[in-house]
Amino acid sequence: MNSVGEACTDMKREYDQCFNRWFAEKFLKGDGSGDPCTDLFKRYQQCVQKAIKEKEIPIEGLEFMGHSKEKSESSS
Amino acid sequence: MKIWSSEHVFGHPWDTVIKAAMRKYPNPMNPCVVGVDVLDRNLDNQGRLHSHRLLSTEWGLPTLVKAVLGTNRTLTYIQEHSVVDPVGKKMELCSTNITLTNLVLVNERLVYTPHPDNPEMTVLTHEAVITVKGFSLGSYLESLMANTISSNARKGWAAIEWIIQNSESAVS
Repeated sequence: MNSVGEACTDMKREYDQCFNRWFAEKFLKGDGSGDPCTDLFKRYQQCVQKAIKEKEIPIEGLEFMGHSKEKSESSS
Repeated sequence: MKIWSSEHVFGHPWDTVIKAAMRKYPNPMNPCVVGVDVLDRNLDNQGRLHSHRLLSTEWGLPTLVKAVLGTNRTLTYIQEHSVVDPVGKKMELCSTNITLTNLVLVNERLVYTPHPDNPEMTVLTHEAVITVKGFSLGSYLESLMANTISSNARKGWAAIEWIIQNSESAVS
């Protein structure tokens, strides 16, 4: 699967592999701590943000707050 | 406005279905999804995982619809927010298009929960609200799009099954 930014595809795949492993082996089994993918995600996210700006994709209501910060939103 | 909803039962336990749902693309049943990106991801203070994703899609609108809508653009973007509760065993996903919004709004909501009578099975409640703006043919186009959504939803359910079948031999 590709990224919206062509330059981001490799980073995306690397992050996805890391995330899918953590999600299946840790998170779903009740261990949501110690996410090992933070650095990968930061690099990937920077690339995607740039691509979104360049392509002028109208993303709403999202602040790129980083991977590990908790959101305080209460609405779905 | 057109509302479409359906319920589908997967013959797999919730964990298996959710793992597949998070890895849904690419799959041969939904070739129109050509890009997926994670925009943000975090755990809330209840331990639920929130993901915001951007999907790039080639909608494949029928030629007549494209002509009526007056657009040759077929690459559209969808923004998606999902919440996975591993303790309550519930995954909820909401999506909306963020391009062509002056013409049409498609909001989808998917909720995956264990089957109340059988923990080896999973229920998906799948709803869509379609609103076509500013056209006297609005209700016709809405019905057309509801059919497309219904057809794509079925492909999506088959895609989850395909991901599960193709993963079962792999060590996750």
